[in-house]
Amino acid sequence: MPQKLNLTRADRIGYVAGGIALIAWALRRPNVRTALAAGVGGWLLYQAYTGSNPMLRSLGIHVNREPAQPEIAETMVVEDAITISRPRAEVYAFFAQPQHLPGLADAELDITRSAPDEELAWRGMRDDRLLHFGSLSFRDAPGARGTIVAAHLEYAPSGGSLGVALARVMGRSPQRLVADSLRRARALLEAGEVPTTNGQATGRR
Amino acid sequence: MRAICWHGARDVRVESVPEPKILNARDAIVRVTASAICGSDLHLYGGFVPGMMKGDILGHEFMGEVVEVGPAVKTLARGDRVVVPFPIACGNCFFCRREMFSLCENSNPNAWMAEKLWGYSPCGIYGYSHLLGGYAGGQAEYVRVPFADVGPIKVPEALRDDQVLFLSDILPTGYMAAENCAIEPGDTIAVWGCGPVGLLAIACAQLLGAARVIAIDRFPERLRLAALKLGAETIDYTEANVLEALKDLTGGRGPDACIDAVGMEAHAYHSVAYAYDRVKQAMMFESDRPVALREAIMACRSGGTVSVAGVYGGLIDKFPAGALMNRSLTIRTGQTHVQRYLRPLLARIENREIDPSFIITHRLQLEQAPSAYRMFRDKQDECIKVVLTP
Repeated sequence: MPQKLNLTRADRIGYVAGGIALIAWALRRPNVRTALAAGVGGWLLYQAYTGSNPMLRSLGIHVNREPAQPEIAETMVVEDAITISRPRAEVYAFFAQPQHLPGLADAELDITRSAPDEELAWRGMRDDRLLHFGSLSFRDAPGARGTIVAAHLEYAPSGGSLGVALARVMGRSPQRLVADSLRRARALLEAGEVPTTNGQATGRR
Repeated sequence: MRAICWHGARDVRVESVPEPKILNARDAIVRVTASAICGSDLHLYGGFVPGMMKGDILGHEFMGEVVEVGPAVKTLARGDRVVVPFPIACGNCFFCRREMFSLCENSNPNAWMAEKLWGYSPCGIYGYSHLLGGYAGGQAEYVRVPFADVGPIKVPEALRDDQVLFLSDILPTGYMAAENCAIEPGDTIAVWGCGPVGLLAIACAQLLGAARVIAIDRFPERLRLAALKLGAETIDYTEANVLEALKDLTGGRGPDACIDAVGMEAHAYHSVAYAYDRVKQAMMFESDRPVALREAIMACRSGGTVSVAGVYGGLIDKFPAGALMNRSLTIRTGQTHVQRYLRPLLARIENREIDPSFIITHRLQLEQAPSAYRMFRDKQDECIKVVLTP
């Protein structure tokens, strides 16, 4: 299986610089310790060459170097899906309202393509700059179990793959944002409200 | 209002906090008339459950009087006397429609946290960590009840609080533990742990037709209750080798089903494995101590069922997968789907088939909760079940 890329251009420049620095240090004073450092340096160079760091693989980071929207040179790709126990037309109609689509903070969303009950595509702009673009596809879940909504979102990364990894571990990332939008939609469509504890009684001061 | 707040391991306090408000259309506010401390609250008290925050209001076993309902709640009205199930469930999702209420997909606002730990998220639970929603609990004067049109059950005035309070958790939990054993005539059921859930699991196994029940614990008062009140045979694990004793008692074949009513803080006596788990848990290499679960798997007869009612939170070591696979064992478990059992169990209480109040040893005021938690954890004063009234 071809490996998905998970290093951005900036990451790879950093890896090259780090790898060369480690090897150069090892060449200047060769001993056991620096030989190890040279090994790590070589590994960094190899990762820069392949564009993929296997240690980031478990975080599911995926870089697209040839995004469909050329305004962004390279994108981070987020994919998610949810099954909602409601008919496809109702689920589609819900997401066809732009305020229900996943969007990054401060982005203005507009729908760029729509195929009723099948697919919706949108983009998020801030001050005439494209921040992200995405699409939702809708299909019937097998056995009359409602509708499967598959989300695909691409956004311009800031802070490289390290920043993305950090954001993911902290739970504040476009990945979360997409997951939260899908969950919120399911709660509203199925239960009629979104679960919350904001404003509840607490002993916190 | 007064409420019991968690402040850290072995630190709960009674504090004055703001009264709850309706936040969603399907909410209700209940004035709590009785609540209980659950054995699983002791896992929080001991600091074994991740995702607790200082100031969290505890308590998931409670009942009371409806004082306010949200605009979408048509099934309840002010003044209704209700018992509230501990799993918060929407009633509309894939799992709720299949009566697997504790797996509700729409009630945990912090589902992403649970997904990181467990793959997918179960339902939200009152007062049981932010992993399960961070909902304020019912060990308080008032509590907010989400999806109030699905969960709470109205109870007749003829029944005392004592008799119906445990519908909120431990009676259905004991019942589901027994139901998961798929009991057939002639079956012998072994139950690890004679705390409230273990004792009610024994009673329910008998209701469901078990020929014999064997109860395992170390506290004399608990074994006594199992033997004298319920007629179970008993094993004191500080005096006997449980596996050998069970083999002897079952004609060399093992119990047909085993119920783990202990969970992640199990104790054992003079056991190398126990010391191993204790050390690993203290050093955070292992989150749970699965002594009872391992023993239940090893003891169960081939082709039998291990029913897990005790709470586990994370990862365990030295899981006897070989015994499980080679001997065709079935494990059945889950947080209790309380809503599924409310009506049938209320009917059994009304018909006097079961009166779960026999486990209550202490009736205290909410203000006494900090000492009650300590007493319950240390099993002082032969404590089995504490009921709190405001």
